[in-house]
Amino acid sequence: MDNEQANFYLSQFIGKNLRIHTSDDRVFGGQMKCTDKDRNIILALTYEYRAPPAQVIRKAVEASGNPAAQVPWNSRYVGLVVVPGAHVKKIEFEESALGRSRVVV
Amino acid sequence: MADEPLRQHHDAAPQPDQDTVLSYDGAGSSKDGGSRHAGNAHAPGSLPLRQAMQQPRSEPKVYDVTEKFTRACKALEVGQLVKDEYFTLFESIGAIEVMDPKMDSGFLQPGETLEDEYDTLAPLLPEEVIGIMDQLLSHEMAWHTGYPLSQTLFTSVYIDKLLWPEPKTLEQAQFYRGELPGKSRPAPLLEVLRAYCIALVKCCDFVIAKVTGRDYYEEEDFCTHTYNRVLFFQTPMDVFLRELDAAVELMEEEGEIDDSFRKAIITRLGFRKDFLTALDLDCSLEHLDRYWSPILSSLPSINVTQQLGKGVPGSFSTKIQRRLASTVPPRPIVELEFKDAFAKLQQLCHDCEEATRFTSLPPDPLEYESFLWAFASRSPTPLAYSRSYLSTILFHPDTLNTTTSLPLLDLKTVLLPCSPILDPTNWTLSPPLNPSLPKPPRLQIAYVIDEFIERVGQSYLDYWTALGQNRCRLRRMLTHVIIGWSQLQADARLLDSDLEDITRDMGIQDQVIGSPLGTWVYQKKLFMAEKIVLLGFEQDIYLPDELASMYALLSELATRRRDVLADISAHFASRIALHEAAGETAVVEEIRQDAMYIASQLHEVEGIAALAHALSRFYIVLLYLNLLPHPNRPYGSEQLRFELRMKPFQPAISELFKRYRDENDMQPYGAYTAPSPAFVEDVRNGTSALWRDIERSVARAKDAFAKFKKRGAGSARAGGVEKNWGKAVQGALASCVALGVAVVGLKAGVGGVRVDGEGRVKDVGVKVEIPVAETGRRYKEEWVVGKVVKR
Repeated sequence: MDNEQANFYLSQFIGKNLRIHTSDDRVFGGQMKCTDKDRNIILALTYEYRAPPAQVIRKAVEASGNPAAQVPWNSRYVGLVVVPGAHVKKIEFEESALGRSRVVV
Repeated sequence: MADEPLRQHHDAAPQPDQDTVLSYDGAGSSKDGGSRHAGNAHAPGSLPLRQAMQQPRSEPKVYDVTEKFTRACKALEVGQLVKDEYFTLFESIGAIEVMDPKMDSGFLQPGETLEDEYDTLAPLLPEEVIGIMDQLLSHEMAWHTGYPLSQTLFTSVYIDKLLWPEPKTLEQAQFYRGELPGKSRPAPLLEVLRAYCIALVKCCDFVIAKVTGRDYYEEEDFCTHTYNRVLFFQTPMDVFLRELDAAVELMEEEGEIDDSFRKAIITRLGFRKDFLTALDLDCSLEHLDRYWSPILSSLPSINVTQQLGKGVPGSFSTKIQRRLASTVPPRPIVELEFKDAFAKLQQLCHDCEEATRFTSLPPDPLEYESFLWAFASRSPTPLAYSRSYLSTILFHPDTLNTTTSLPLLDLKTVLLPCSPILDPTNWTLSPPLNPSLPKPPRLQIAYVIDEFIERVGQSYLDYWTALGQNRCRLRRMLTHVIIGWSQLQADARLLDSDLEDITRDMGIQDQVIGSPLGTWVYQKKLFMAEKIVLLGFEQDIYLPDELASMYALLSELATRRRDVLADISAHFASRIALHEAAGETAVVEEIRQDAMYIASQLHEVEGIAALAHALSRFYIVLLYLNLLPHPNRPYGSEQLRFELRMKPFQPAISELFKRYRDENDMQPYGAYTAPSPAFVEDVRNGTSALWRDIERSVARAKDAFAKFKKRGAGSARAGGVEKNWGKAVQGALASCVALGVAVVGLKAGVGGVRVDGEGRVKDVGVKVEIPVAETGRRYKEEWVVGKVVKR
């Protein structure tokens, strides 16, 4: 991919919702504002999502006796964040459910 | 694009049951992120994240773009950014860096857990309950002094458990969620603690509602952020009172508790009940005064029994911040000692109790104004809540909706008592049926006044709003308010010329002072300008070498106002004579009442002008004697400093300050660093004009303040705050005496003064200490009287 293509490809995501999975197993969902060569990504209006700890899940399963017991994820609003490229594990693009966004993934 | 689009399509359609738990996307009201997970089988790819409110509901499609995104990034140049064109570097500075332990409140150190180990259902000892309650009280007061909830109350594990996950009913707000095994209840002491905690949370809700309910508040004093936690705002107060009552009963029935502990806990529950009642938003104005004294009476016993408590540090944790909706880095818990917290609580109650006295004032805007100034001068400065509390009373419809509008009453008292201009019958006339005929002149007057009063309304409220701020902001806001009043003065001038035409046609000029509306605005504006300068002294805005010029400015302002008031006073005297001749005793009596107010004001402003003049001259002498610290200002100049100090008054009244700028007046003996020989001569001669001027001014000021005092608070329309008023006048008098003493000391110390070969003053036998603000070393904070001590 040459520079121009890369620029075009990445620009598509500006203002779109991305979910970024970090190395500590959190997920940040927000609007992409900026990225660079090191894959540092700035997200606006971001929410942080965190999987419940194993022991909480274990407890819930024990308490209900159902191995498929539902345990809530923790989430909270964190606003404007920058995710350093080194900690990015996975990037997902979330297509707006309101209409087709013309993003070439 | 050469690459084949990666249509890696994650089908994000959830399991059927997930649909039911999805929450809509309110600003951050993400209930558990709307996402539920089956056991430990993670499938992050199919996470339904925030959902917009929409019909019909469809799931967003999610594509994994990691690989291609990474490749694209690698193809970028170093330093090349792909960014939103409206996104600026400035904005990006505010971004929180994920995984940076100092910024990312969600970052976990290796091995660290998200949740706390603390068990909120473990039984507590009575002394621990007392300890927790008192710690919560300390946190509550820390919050009142400006710290955010996230560093204070929200660090309590108990409060966190009550508020999160968000309970749907108050019954669900427990130290656990769901049901306890065997449907048992927590230990009684935990039930008691819970009652205390939920009432405390409701108190916070009331406080936030009161503070944000005001038109004007700033985050600099108080933090209203609740981090997306709902503080039981829908639950009415009586529910909490019942919970507290039930808790008191529980305590009384509880058998195995030492009586002193039992009493201490019951006292705390009682306090919380009284406090909650007093904070209630729906209190009617008539009954306000009865709420605060019961709280104040229960405070001493809380203070005494505080030592019975035993702290439970484990029940407070910064970890909770990880789960609060927060765009700021993690911060430590605020430690406010109980002693200090208790003092703050006492202050809050006293201030609020004082504020309730507002309701007993006579409906007189001048009395209101005195009260507001007195309240704003309270030391220590009232907390944000107390100030909001007072302004809620002040701006309550019952206060503002008087039969005569408040600015009109003010105008009437100051300038136009029993004036034909404000004759109520003017408003009863009807315009002629034929619109081409002229309106009756009295009706025209009513129209002019109506227009003026309408125009004044906003400026008047702005002024009162400024008075509800803390001292520093009061000074700053007044500088804005005064600009509004300048514009008002220009408008008033136009209306005055209309009035003049009408009164001339009616032949009643002799009953009306010249340009009444403009004069009224002008004297108010001058008063505010004086206050801005006085507040500057009080807050140590000016450096010691500026004191001379700033007091000269103050003296100038006060002299202007004195002239205006003297005109009014003379006008009143002539009107009294006029009406006496006509035998209208009732009218004469009413004018006399208001003339007393003007006379009282005249004494005060005379005192201010004279004392300011004396101080200005005193500091000029000190400047020549080189007794004041003179900072090195490599980039400063007199001209720049003048512009800076005058900025608040631009364009309001800057044309007045010729004298302040006048070098001959401010530097009668040439430059301060190289005085002329005449200075040494004058300063060594105790009876020179230099000293006589100062001494006479001090005497004049003392005399004026004494007369002001003698006329009493009633004449000054400060009857509602007589004590504060008396203290203020006493402080001004004491400042006069202190200045007199300082002058004597200075005169004694300069007998041997001479000028050396380079023109510098030598052999001054004394030095001068400038008392610093708020150290109790000034008789009145706004009068900075240097203390002369022997070297």
